[in-house]
Amino acid sequence: MEKDTKTKKMLFVTQFEELWFDALQSLMDLRKSGFNHVVFLHVIERDKVAMRRGKGYLKDQEIKLREMANVRFIDWAEDLFVQGMEVGAYIVVGDILPKIISTAEEEGIDLIVTGRHRRPKLEELYAGSETLELLRRTSTPVLVHKYMLPSGKINEKPFERPLLALDWSPASGNAVRYLLGFKDIIKKVVVIHVAGEKTFKSDSAMEIQAIRKKNRQKLEEVCDAFRDVGIDTESHLYVGATCEQIEKAAQERGATMIVGGTTGKKSLKEIFLGNTAKKLAERSVFPTLLIPANIKHEAS
Amino acid sequence: MAKKILAVDDDPDIVIFVKTVLEENGYIPLIAKNGEAGLAMARKEKPALIILDVLMPKQSGIRMYREIKSDASLKDIPVVILSGIAKRTFLRSQEALTEFGDESVPEPEAYIEKPAEPEELAEVIKKFIS
Repeated sequence: MEKDTKTKKMLFVTQFEELWFDALQSLMDLRKSGFNHVVFLHVIERDKVAMRRGKGYLKDQEIKLREMANVRFIDWAEDLFVQGMEVGAYIVVGDILPKIISTAEEEGIDLIVTGRHRRPKLEELYAGSETLELLRRTSTPVLVHKYMLPSGKINEKPFERPLLALDWSPASGNAVRYLLGFKDIIKKVVVIHVAGEKTFKSDSAMEIQAIRKKNRQKLEEVCDAFRDVGIDTESHLYVGATCEQIEKAAQERGATMIVGGTTGKKSLKEIFLGNTAKKLAERSVFPTLLIPANIKHEAS
Repeated sequence: MAKKILAVDDDPDIVIFVKTVLEENGYIPLIAKNGEAGLAMARKEKPALIILDVLMPKQSGIRMYREIKSDASLKDIPVVILSGIAKRTFLRSQEALTEFGDESVPEPEAYIEKPAEPEELAEVIKKFIS
């Protein structure tokens, strides 16, 4: 294995519901891009050990949950240590989002890997989506990992053929730069732009064609950036509802993952924002890599 | 004069256990919660012995051990590994790092798999500190 000058850290967040060791194994290709340090995080949610009338704080329950997580992490860590990897672990009691954010900051994490954490409907109504909240509050890229393919097989190499959805925002530019850092593991990038139907509201065919041409040119410029570092690429222009078209494109182009920039809550004009990121992260069958606009750690 | 012993572990219960064993046996405990802090403390305090966990935040015991045994000013300090990670895994991990181009390091002076009995830990320490 080649030695990388800078070891990058991946924070693997698991509640032992969606993400298990095989999910982590599916990301081992990332070692070629310098990810040689894995930090496990398991958060024991406060309400599982909270005070109960007549019982007080459930210390016994906390010890049991801690030790169950510890047994699993030791087993996983042993597998990684013998491969020469560096491993760390946190088992903490609290609320999951603040713990993810504080651990990522404390460890200087380069990539957060998490499952689909969904709040119950009612809670989401007043507290908002956990995924969106995480994206708003972190400057670290987030991979919402779904490692089982619809066929039931494991998505063994999610970074092999990512689909990059661009809306031409600065956040999209971040996503391009971030992906360039994975040139050692990406075989082909499928670059797409989804034009909304409103884009074609003009009654002039020439005008519509000009829009198409402009988007195609921009796609080609992005493709050139990938080709320059030796990554094969193809580009496509889609029309319609953003989320549905991205999902459709990923399926028909044989993508292994969906990648996009996220703009945070304020830039409502941009396409790959809030709702799109949330929908893809929570509903898409593909792993979804979301690059924040204020990214701190770059892969390259 | 009482000797200083550095214990590096992120588990508060283990820290209390080790601290108690050390104090009851007349040593001065120094505590660090991860490999990074442990290494800094080892360099500053030059303890007579180091008790080291393996799976920890920031820097694992595997890396910290390697740093200790590759540092001329620290390499003679006996290291007792106290961990839930199996000894075989620890040794294989060190071998893997050597294969990837790092320097070869010797085996640790002692290896105790958690949980340890207080007498067991005290006995191992006494073996290396007269």
